[in-house]
Amino acid sequence: MNHPAQLLVVEDEKNVGETLAERLQVAGFQVTLATSAARARQAWRAQAPQLALLDVGLPDGNGFELAAELRGAVPKCAIVFLTAHGNPEQRVRGLELGADDYVTKPFHFRELLLRIQNCLKRAQDLAELPGEMRGVVRIGRARVDFERFSAEVDGVSHTLTHKECAVLRLLASRAGKAVSRDEILDKAWSADEFPTSRTVDNFIVRLRKLVEPDADEPRVIRSIRGVGYLLNEMHHE
Amino acid sequence: MNVKAGQGSLSVMPARRARLIAALAALWIVLVLVLGAGWVALAISQAHQISELQSLTGSTDSVVAAQWASTHRRVVGESVVFLLLLLAVSGLLAWLYWRESWRARGMQAFFAAVTHELRTPLTSIRLQAEAIAEGDQRVELARRLLEDSHRLESQIDKTLELARIEGGGPLVEQSVPLQGWLERTLQGIAAAHGARVSVAVELAPGLPAILADAAAVQMILRNLVENSVRHAQRECVQVRLRARASGEQVLLEYRDDGAGTAVRAQQLGRLFGRGAASGGSGVGLYLVRALMERMGGRAEFHSAPGRGFGAELRFSASGEAAGP
Repeated sequence: MNHPAQLLVVEDEKNVGETLAERLQVAGFQVTLATSAARARQAWRAQAPQLALLDVGLPDGNGFELAAELRGAVPKCAIVFLTAHGNPEQRVRGLELGADDYVTKPFHFRELLLRIQNCLKRAQDLAELPGEMRGVVRIGRARVDFERFSAEVDGVSHTLTHKECAVLRLLASRAGKAVSRDEILDKAWSADEFPTSRTVDNFIVRLRKLVEPDADEPRVIRSIRGVGYLLNEMHHE
Repeated sequence: MNVKAGQGSLSVMPARRARLIAALAALWIVLVLVLGAGWVALAISQAHQISELQSLTGSTDSVVAAQWASTHRRVVGESVVFLLLLLAVSGLLAWLYWRESWRARGMQAFFAAVTHELRTPLTSIRLQAEAIAEGDQRVELARRLLEDSHRLESQIDKTLELARIEGGGPLVEQSVPLQGWLERTLQGIAAAHGARVSVAVELAPGLPAILADAAAVQMILRNLVENSVRHAQRECVQVRLRARASGEQVLLEYRDDGAGTAVRAQQLGRLFGRGAASGGSGVGLYLVRALMERMGGRAEFHSAPGRGFGAELRFSASGEAAGP
């Protein structure tokens, strides 16, 4: 890594936040620690982070809402939720919101470090666009800008999560050919996130709402029975 | 924490099962009410028939007329009592179901909150222990370890005390002289929070001793200070405790200069009530209130955004004179 990656740690528990920030600094990251949602907003306005570690329970808001705000403000930032609540509903909610990973407390620092490095790697891969993906491409009724993680539909701009972007890019890179669910899972998710084929299907439903003229009768992203999905339409503007 | 499912009120019903039971209970209540209404209608109809029979026989015999009237009153009375009983039992069943559902939801939230309260210091302890294992020798890490282990201990104590109090565990009431003891106790509690709290104690001269369980008073003060540290949203929260005589009682006025809360005073101290998104297990202030009531005293809380948190604790005076 040429420049140390910029991390934002949002954690209201003083001891956890301070120790985590110190250890991440020792591991070679530049770290900003915010102890509330309000301080996190100030921090990302002052310096856009490459990755944010967000505690779900904050004194002035919750991490899920903060993640949506951060996604809008800094689309390239990878998001990892830290939570003491390990229940599956919260985990699914976090991942559905487009979190890049979800870590349950207490965790081993080395494991967290590995996950951070994986997320940064995936974010970097997303940032490196092949020539045919640069600029604005039209997919169905959406004008998609992969560099800005945005999709404009009927004049309204939507921020794409990293996962949505990764899935759509993979389908777009093979436009006209079927891509299997397993390959989508392999490319867009890490093994640690324990995704299922159903996870892919949920993201496809969300993407169809953006690109399909009629999401109930999909023509742009078609389901190929027993295989996966196929993107029909994509062209440069 | 090991809780066996199905033992007492600590078991939490799965949502689907709870919905099924609610549907069956509603069906049962409707069925009973319909049957009851049918029975009442039948009784009223019989009463009418009795009246008609009475007029048909045209009896002028006052004894027979009185017997008819008595039978009529008894039938109507029985039907009304039966209907009222049905309504009361149905209402009682509905209330019991609502109360158990509320307790089950509260218990679920409590376990989630306690899990959070235990996992958070554990996370911190693990992070620090790993740092020490890798050669970090800063004293600061030891300070954080102590703070986190104290937090774990406090949460476990609160959970055990809740179980004890709810199970009707006894308190040992004795004469507790506040002079000296109150300040030492509060300073000891504050020391566990390091620089995050500073305390000041003011005792009115000639203050009588209080009739209380000293361990319970320690827990009350510890819970209040923890509540202040947690919710103050300050680097260092200032706590002031004043004690004065008030008639036959001794009044302890606790106040902090924290952020305060918009939660209504009546809701502060409710079991499993939690004021903030990341705020505790909902047991601390409940224990303050419950312990005060068990000692024959009273606790009242007040707070407002930007105006800190306060509590008034009323103890019975023991009748013994103040210490030197």
